[in-house]
Amino acid sequence: MAIRVTFWGVRGSIPTPGPTTVKYGGNTACLELRFGPEEKLIIIDAGSGIRELAGAILAKDLKKGPINTKIFLTHTHWDHIMGFPFFTPIYIKGTNLTVYGPVSFEEDSLDSVVGGQLQYKYFPVNMGELQAEIHYERLKEQEIDLGDGIKLTTKYLNHPITVLGYKFEYQGKIFCTAYDHEPFRNIFEVSPTDPSYDEVAIREGALAAKEENDKVADFFAGADLLVHDSQYTQKEYLKDKIGWGHSSFEWAITSAIKAKVKHLVLFHHEPLRGDAELEKLYCNLVNQMRAKTRTRLTLSLAREGASIEV
Amino acid sequence: MNDKAKTIAVIKTYISKMPSLPIAWSKIQEISKNPKATPADLNQVISLDPVLMGRVMKLINSAYYGLNNQITSLVRAIIMLGVNTVKNLALSTAVLGGLSGKTNFQALNNDGFWRHSLCVGVAAKLIAIKRRKDPKQLEEYFVSGLLHDIGKIPLNNKLSAEYVQALSLTDKEHLPLYITEERTMEVNHCEVGRLIVNNWNLGPAMEDVVFFHHFIDSYPGENRDVVLTVAAANYFANSFQIGFSGDRYPEPLPPALFDELKITRDYFDELESKVNGEIDKAKIFLQVAHQ
Repeated sequence: MAIRVTFWGVRGSIPTPGPTTVKYGGNTACLELRFGPEEKLIIIDAGSGIRELAGAILAKDLKKGPINTKIFLTHTHWDHIMGFPFFTPIYIKGTNLTVYGPVSFEEDSLDSVVGGQLQYKYFPVNMGELQAEIHYERLKEQEIDLGDGIKLTTKYLNHPITVLGYKFEYQGKIFCTAYDHEPFRNIFEVSPTDPSYDEVAIREGALAAKEENDKVADFFAGADLLVHDSQYTQKEYLKDKIGWGHSSFEWAITSAIKAKVKHLVLFHHEPLRGDAELEKLYCNLVNQMRAKTRTRLTLSLAREGASIEV
Repeated sequence: MNDKAKTIAVIKTYISKMPSLPIAWSKIQEISKNPKATPADLNQVISLDPVLMGRVMKLINSAYYGLNNQITSLVRAIIMLGVNTVKNLALSTAVLGGLSGKTNFQALNNDGFWRHSLCVGVAAKLIAIKRRKDPKQLEEYFVSGLLHDIGKIPLNNKLSAEYVQALSLTDKEHLPLYITEERTMEVNHCEVGRLIVNNWNLGPAMEDVVFFHHFIDSYPGENRDVVLTVAAANYFANSFQIGFSGDRYPEPLPPALFDELKITRDYFDELESKVNGEIDKAKIFLQVAHQ
C-alpha cells in the first residue's frame, strides 16, 4: 500500500444523522490519508467527521508520541471546518498541527476564519486556551514537497468561494480531490435580446470556461483515486442548482472517464438523499456507464468508515 | 534630487493610492451590493473605468492569487475567480478610491477623459475585430485602449497648475500634448503611464501600449500589433473629437501604419457611429446625464 484513504465524513452542506443515513453516514467532509509503511498521517478537511477521526488518532497514534500532523482544508465553508473545535489533539500539549487552506478575501486570514470558531460566543473554549502548537498557512495554486517523498499539487476549482483541489503523489500513486466543485461555465451566455448581451464577452467566456474545465481534467488525469463532488443528479443540477458550486454524478463520471482516472469516489452527498436513494442512483449510474462506454473505471459511493488503498 | 526626480517621486506617491474615476463609483457600489447583478453587469461597470479596470487586473494578477498565467481578460477573471471575488475586489477598490478624495480634474474634466478612454478602447477592439484578430485577444485590445492615457490622471490631478499650462501651450503652439507636458513638467503621460502599469503589474503588452502609443516609429518590441492599433484608435478619437484628452493637435499617423493595419481613413467614418453607439449605451448603463 502506498496511500490509504479513510472516509470519516462524506456528507455535503450539513450533518444529517438519522435512520436514513446510517449506511453512508451523516458527517460532513473529513478524509484521513496514511502514507507508506510508517502510516504518516495527513487529514483533508475538518467537517464534523473529524471528531471521530480524532478519537481514532488518540487511540492509535498518541501512544507513539505527540501528534504531529497537517490538515488541508479544501475551503472554509462551514461544513468543511465545523469539526475543528472537536479535534481533540488541539487540547493536548505537545501536539503540533499545521492547518493549510485557501482564503477568499485578503482581510480574512485562515486563522481568523478557522480558529475564529473558538471564541466564547460560539464555543466554550477560546482559541488562546488551546494547548497545541497550531500554525496556519494559506495556500494558492502551487506545488509543495511535504517530505518523506510526498508531493502535493493544488488547483483552484469553481465554487462561490476559493476552493483548492489537492493532488498527492507518493511512490508512483496519485490521489486527488475535486470538491467542492461545479464545472466552469460561460456565465456571460445570455439571449441576444437581453440588454447585457455582449458577443465578445460570450465568445471569450465560452473559451475561458472550456479551458478552465480542461485544466481541472488535466489536474486529475491518470489519478489512481479521485474523490469528486457529486451532490446532485444532472436533472437536479439543471433544474435549479446551477451556480451553487457543486457537480452532478454524471459530470463527475464523464470527467473521470475522459481523464483516465482509475477509481472514482462520488462524494459530498446531498443532505436530503438517504441511503436507499443513493444506492438506487448508484446502480443506475453504473448500468448506464457500462451500457454507454467500455471504460474500466471503478466507481464507488463515498461511505463513512470505508477505506480505499492505492 | 533634481526637478524631474522630485516630480516622479510625487507622482509615485499619488499612484499608490490613485482614486477611481467618480463616474463609476456609485454604480460599482450598487452592483456589488445587489445580489441580482449579473456577471455582465460586473464586467461592464469595471470595463468602463480605466482606473478600476487597472486596479482589478492588478489584484487578479498579484501574488495573492498566484495564478500561473497572466490574465488580461476580465471575462476570464470573472469565470475563474467567480463573481463574488471580483465584486469584492472592485468594491474594495472603489471604496479605496472614495476615501482618497474626489479627483480634482482641472485641465481635463472627468467626462471628457472618460469618453476619450472608452472611445479608444472600443475603437481598438473594433479595429481588431475587423482585422479578424483571435477572439481571445479582443479584450486585451479593449483594455489597452481604455488604459492608454492613464498617465494623464496623476499629472492632471497632482500637478494641476502645470497641466493647465501644458494644455494652453498645445493651443498656442499647435503641438501634441506629450511635447508640451515635457516642456512644462519634464515628464510626459507615457512615462507616467508606464510607472502605473508597472506598479499594477499589468504585463508587457499594456506597458508597451502606454509607453509607445505616441512613439510608434521607435517601437522595437513584439507587441507591435496592439501598439499600432491603439495608436490608430487614439488618432481616431482625437481627430473625430470623441471625448477630450487634451490632444487637440495630435501628430498625424504615418501612412505606413494604415497599410500595416490594412485599414483606410474612410474606415474611421464607419467607426464613428459604432463607437458613439457604444458610449451612449455605457452612459445609459452608468446613468450619467449627458453633458
